[in-house]
Amino acid sequence: MTPAATTFHTPHLVVHRRTTGEPPLVRHALIGVALVFLSLFLFLPLVFVFTQAFAKGIGYYFETLRDPNAWSAIKLTLLAAGISVPLNCVFGVCAAWAIAKFDFPGKNVLLTLIDLPFSVSPVIAGLIYVLVFGAQGWLGLYMNADNPHLPWLANWLNDHNFKIIFAVPGIVLATVFVTVPFVARELIPLMQAQGRSEEEAARVLGASGWQTFWRVTLPNIKWGLIYGVILCNARAMGEFGAVSVVSGKIRGQTNTIPLHIEALYDDYNFTGAFAVASLLAFLALITLGLKTWVEYKNAVQNKD
Amino acid sequence: MSVEVKNITKKFGSFTALDNVSLKVESGELVALLGPSGSGKTTLLRTIAGLEFPDNPGEAQVLFYGEDVTQIPASERKAGFAFQHYALFRHMSVFENIAFGLRVRPRSTRPPEADIRARVDKLLKLIQLEPMAKRFPSQLSGGQRQRVALARALAVEPKVLLLDEPFGALDAKVRKELRRWLRQLHDEIHVTTLFVTHDQEEALEVSDRVAILRAGKIEQIGTPEEIYDKPASPFVYDFLGNVNLFSGRVKDGAMVIGGAEFAAPDVAGEPDSEAVAFVRPHDIRVTRQPGGPALTAQVIRSNAAGPVANLELKRLDSGELFAVQLTKELFQELSPKPGEHVFVELKNVRIFGDDYSI
Repeated sequence: MTPAATTFHTPHLVVHRRTTGEPPLVRHALIGVALVFLSLFLFLPLVFVFTQAFAKGIGYYFETLRDPNAWSAIKLTLLAAGISVPLNCVFGVCAAWAIAKFDFPGKNVLLTLIDLPFSVSPVIAGLIYVLVFGAQGWLGLYMNADNPHLPWLANWLNDHNFKIIFAVPGIVLATVFVTVPFVARELIPLMQAQGRSEEEAARVLGASGWQTFWRVTLPNIKWGLIYGVILCNARAMGEFGAVSVVSGKIRGQTNTIPLHIEALYDDYNFTGAFAVASLLAFLALITLGLKTWVEYKNAVQNKD
Repeated sequence: MSVEVKNITKKFGSFTALDNVSLKVESGELVALLGPSGSGKTTLLRTIAGLEFPDNPGEAQVLFYGEDVTQIPASERKAGFAFQHYALFRHMSVFENIAFGLRVRPRSTRPPEADIRARVDKLLKLIQLEPMAKRFPSQLSGGQRQRVALARALAVEPKVLLLDEPFGALDAKVRKELRRWLRQLHDEIHVTTLFVTHDQEEALEVSDRVAILRAGKIEQIGTPEEIYDKPASPFVYDFLGNVNLFSGRVKDGAMVIGGAEFAAPDVAGEPDSEAVAFVRPHDIRVTRQPGGPALTAQVIRSNAAGPVANLELKRLDSGELFAVQLTKELFQELSPKPGEHVFVELKNVRIFGDDYSI
């Protein structure tokens, strides 16, 4: 196009030609519907959480959080997330590496298994753990003092009063289960898109497998990994269903933040419930902010 | 002193990429592996680098200057490899990309930091990218990236330099510049080099010798002149340039096409039979007055755009179409019009026995 020709098109006209050609009324209506929907169902509830949390003043807010049961729930949630996130981080990188960089029989089975926690209801996941590790379940057989299959194991477990269900290990297990896909699912498409050639280049240049991983693979997937970890963490801290089944809901012992919120709510302590809930809402906002930033960094790194 | 592969066979599923291939590259030589896609040239290169392993480990051998490296992994072979899409480390600067091969060495053999810097600076100078040292691969043009990939491969002082379609992803102008630069570079540093290409012009211009691959086998190997002037098979003949086929008869050691007899050294001593002659478009002379044996043809189309003029002609006796290339001067002298009849003389007529399939 000659410079002379462009002067005839005002920017306004150019914008119109490049859209799909819907009249302004339709576009404004669509945007309006989306905005109304989002404010009604997402933004208003969020505002409501915070107004309710501070309804009895800032003093009551912090009093609720300082309550020993609330503290215990916060600590337990941090512990469950602190164990399940690194565990799934390592597993996710291993699985994604295997799937993206190697061809092996059963690859699709592994992919399906990774997706399983997405397709199974968390309540079912919790029940599975109760059945496997509970007193009446598979592990229960080993702990049954009357007829133990492995007496030394039964003795050891009983001596140490080791329990999985209705105890912290069960909560950690359930959290690990529901958060398995997050890191792996994030990394697989990224690693597949990046291909194997940088790793091959590193190997030909004399790098060992370990050096290739630390110096080439990991820096390349860094932002994708962080993104997966953020989502994994948000889910680990917010998980309700699976944890609710295995926890037994013993206040001050096996309640996580979501379970503690439910307990407070059931006590008609609405302000208290919302005060604790505001922690999770904060987490959500921080997660969103981090997510946006990491998405940007990731796009910058992979733009070529 | 050479880099050598012997009896390499490699299959991917039911597809045979390499079928008992042997090749010897002399020290300091620049050899092109030329062939259509799927002919196995990249697989051969990757096998030499140690990125693929032959299916017949008992018989197959890869030798670097006499040392058997067949079972040695890529990381210990000391080959330099430049990938088709460069495979530069995207999170590292140009400097760190080139330094990578030195930095990953075990502490005992790793050069001191000052030496690494000196070597990388020297290579940056060699590839004429000194001001770009701090840039990232995404900030470079395709030609610049390819030069960085070459420098990175050279930094480890490889025993052999392997280049996979080094100019494949570049536009025509940059390709030409860069291949001239590669030839100069090779003349300077004399590292034994193998490079893969599907561009016959590139192979003929740059290399000392060309190996032509077809369906996992080496069809012919020789200097660019040898393979261009004495192609061993119709495939090689066709792959190296445009070709016209003339059906005719072998008679008394000459080729008879359309009633005219043309000299054909290939058929000396051959029994009389039907045959197909191969003639390049620029080996055909078009005249208005025959100066020797000639067949008659009709002008179908002419196109004088570009450095040479192209004619499409039709044999009057058989109706076969063929293409002719001639200089602008000859074209203007002749000024052929579509539909006109002209005389055609053939030079450098080649015949490949019974097997004239391409």
